[in-house]
Amino acid sequence: MVDLVWFQLLSAILFVIGLYGVMARRSAVLIIMSIELMLNAVNINLIAAASHMEGTGKFSDFDGQLIAIFIITVAAAEVGLALAIILRMFKNRSTVNVDEINLMKW
Amino acid sequence: MAWFIFISLAVLTIAGALGVVVARNVVHAALALLVSLIAVAGIYLVLFAEFLALVQVLIYGGAIIIVLMFAIMLTRNTDYPKISDNKQWPLAALAALAFLGVLAPSFIINRVEGTKSHNASFEGIGESLFTTWAVPFEIASLVLLVALIGAIIIARSDEEEN
Amino acid sequence: MEWAWLIPVFSFASALLIVVFGRSLPSKGAFLSILAIALGFAGFWVVLISWMGADTTTSGCFTSENTHLLTCDYERTWFNAGAVGDVGSVSINWGILIDPLTIAVLGLVTFVALMVQIYSLAYMKGDTRFGWYFAIHSLFAAAMLTLVLADNFLLLYVAWELVGICSYLLIGFWHERSSAREAAKKAFIVTRIGDVGLLVGILLIWREVGTFSMLDAFEAVRTGAMSEGVTTVAALLLFLGAMGKSAQMPFHVWLPDAMEGPTPVSALIHAATMVIAGVYLVARAFPLFEAYDADALMVVSVVGLVTAFVAATIALVATDLKRILAYSTISHLGLMMLSLGAFGVTAAVFHMMAHGFSKALLFLGAGSVLHSTEFQETGEMGGLRKVMPITAILFSIGALSLGGIPILAGFWSKDEILIAVNEHHNVAFIVLTLFTAMLSALYMGRAMFLVFFGPLKEQNEHAHESPLPMTLPMLLLGILALGFGLISFNWPGNYGGFGTFIYFLHPHEFHFEIWLGAVSIVLAVASFIAAYLFYVKRSISLDTVRSNFAGILNVVENKYYFDEVYQWTIDRVVLVLSRLIAFFDRAIVNDIIVNGPADVTRKFGIALRLHVTGHVYSYILAMAIGSVGLALFVWWRVA
Repeated sequence: MVDLVWFQLLSAILFVIGLYGVMARRSAVLIIMSIELMLNAVNINLIAAASHMEGTGKFSDFDGQLIAIFIITVAAAEVGLALAIILRMFKNRSTVNVDEINLMKW
Repeated sequence: MAWFIFISLAVLTIAGALGVVVARNVVHAALALLVSLIAVAGIYLVLFAEFLALVQVLIYGGAIIIVLMFAIMLTRNTDYPKISDNKQWPLAALAALAFLGVLAPSFIINRVEGTKSHNASFEGIGESLFTTWAVPFEIASLVLLVALIGAIIIARSDEEEN
Repeated sequence: MEWAWLIPVFSFASALLIVVFGRSLPSKGAFLSILAIALGFAGFWVVLISWMGADTTTSGCFTSENTHLLTCDYERTWFNAGAVGDVGSVSINWGILIDPLTIAVLGLVTFVALMVQIYSLAYMKGDTRFGWYFAIHSLFAAAMLTLVLADNFLLLYVAWELVGICSYLLIGFWHERSSAREAAKKAFIVTRIGDVGLLVGILLIWREVGTFSMLDAFEAVRTGAMSEGVTTVAALLLFLGAMGKSAQMPFHVWLPDAMEGPTPVSALIHAATMVIAGVYLVARAFPLFEAYDADALMVVSVVGLVTAFVAATIALVATDLKRILAYSTISHLGLMMLSLGAFGVTAAVFHMMAHGFSKALLFLGAGSVLHSTEFQETGEMGGLRKVMPITAILFSIGALSLGGIPILAGFWSKDEILIAVNEHHNVAFIVLTLFTAMLSALYMGRAMFLVFFGPLKEQNEHAHESPLPMTLPMLLLGILALGFGLISFNWPGNYGGFGTFIYFLHPHEFHFEIWLGAVSIVLAVASFIAAYLFYVKRSISLDTVRSNFAGILNVVENKYYFDEVYQWTIDRVVLVLSRLIAFFDRAIVNDIIVNGPADVTRKFGIALRLHVTGHVYSYILAMAIGSVGLALFVWWRVA
């Protein structure tokens, strides 16, 4: 059995890569992808914990997995909305580069 | 054996993730993401979370990747293959490494030993989902509904508004 | 008598009603104003009769230790500053004080105001602000009546300022004319200088006595609780206010300019009522002035005498009919002050009333002339008795009365003043007073003859007699100017003359100093004859007189250069200082203290906004760095 800490390190690395993607990429579509990476990192963390630890109190052994399910659900909803927003953005500005969408600046 | 599988899946995951953040072509990036997501599904199997692995493949590997592909296709313009990073990417890399520098040591320092190595059955998850987690489950369905309606309203074309 | 407070309330209510509903009322609410002041006049009779029937057993009434007059005082708490009984808490009362002085002035004000308002009905007909005119008139009457009735200095001061603002509004009534605006400002600002003195005086008395009540203040003076220095200073400060309001030298400059207002206003405010507020104040606060060897009274009499004399000389050479009357008013106010300074409270109040009726009559007559001929310069008039006989007769009565021709009211009151001055001051005073009285007769004769006698000018042939609403008030005032002197005599029964009605400490019966009376009659008659010879017969050439006194005449015709000196002072001293202060205000207060922080904030904001790039990834970068920093911080704190 692989120790919990390795899964946690994997999740940390994956999260940081996603974070870098969000910070460095210009295309809105790629930023969405990077966010998905970060969400997956969180999921790995949750599921690893659920698989390695006993549940305490009113929580059963695999509640971590259930939370991961909810995260996946929200991620799906988020991607759907993001697609709509990107389409609207593209229609209005003919671009999906976030550094050209800077109406909110001074 | 478990180690070997874990290492190879982890490498695959990280490689795919790196592909997402460095690829010059957006379609390549999407494919790299797919690789990474499938590898994560493998990680779930290593953790004996079969149900989650299934969900991961279905939702991420299927639905989300397809939706992202749609986004790429519908927003295609001339400079599309040559996507680039913005000017602050070195800074972003530094910040990301710093983040890792905080995150990884905290995991290592507060290391916890696993106490079990069994896992849940499909029945157990289902039972828990509809008893303990019934209310969040319903709320999640509401979130999906709202997101659906919102997506339609945001994305529909201007002519329909009048 | 307890209900005497209703007298001003009627007029206050009418002013309010006219302002609010004036447009929808018939005749724009003028009748309300007249009704209110008529009720006030009726109230005066009620007060007079009930006061006569009152004695020390009547509620609120007692014989004042300070004046020996039967005084009735009704007051209630207005508000308390601080909890009752606490150290430092002040209870402010308002109340009415009724004694003969109050009653006399009450009668004068209500009667003249009633006459003037009836007169204004015709005079102001067709004016675009007819309703507004009556509204301020009412407000003015209300304020003046409050001033007269007030039993404490604070209420008096409030009414005092209200009177001032009404005067300002009425002088500037035709504010389309820049001269009217200037005159209104001048009147307001000049009287304001005196008002500051009045306020300081009131506060000084309050500090010493701990209450605003006049009776308490007088009591404190009588018992010696207020020391000599403080009393004298307080009296002089009050007198400063009186000088402003009553146009005493050197504050007299506003009154001639105030003639820019409608003529009835001049009659009401600037002849018969507002300007006597100062005289009233001195008479009211007489115990303060009289205390401790009457040092303050000496100042009062000197100021009064100088004012009377100087104004009389200017009146003699002024050419504008209303200005002649204005300077005449200043001169007579000076005489009243002089009389007060000579302990002649009776004479002063008597002259105040006789002069009030006569001068109101003269102003209304002048208004009638102006209304008909539209000229103000006496040079443009002449021979008007042929076209407006009633006005001519009534104006002449007023002029003769003020000139001091026997039997008319002005003669008796002037006589009383002469007696008072003769008793209390030295020879120089009585000589100058007689000379002033002579000048008074001379300029009154001059005005009368120049306007109504001599050949009628062609341009005035279309002039006509004024309508009844204008002549009727003049007639009533004329009767009083003619017969008011009768009340000064001993009559069979209880009445022992005006001197037993209003007096200070000692009632005195009417008496007549033969030699003084003879001199004053001779001077007055001679002056009128001289005026007749100068201005009608022209048998004595004016030109020779003029050339003989060219130097003096020049000074007098320029009103002793008072206005020029003030203008110079304002330009060279006040405005220079103002500019310095304005510079300080702009450069330091405004630019540095007020705008400085705003500027810093703005610059800071401009610098700060640079971080708001509008780029999503910048924000996320900042968030990531922040998270790392936060984590390190928590780690460091916990570990």
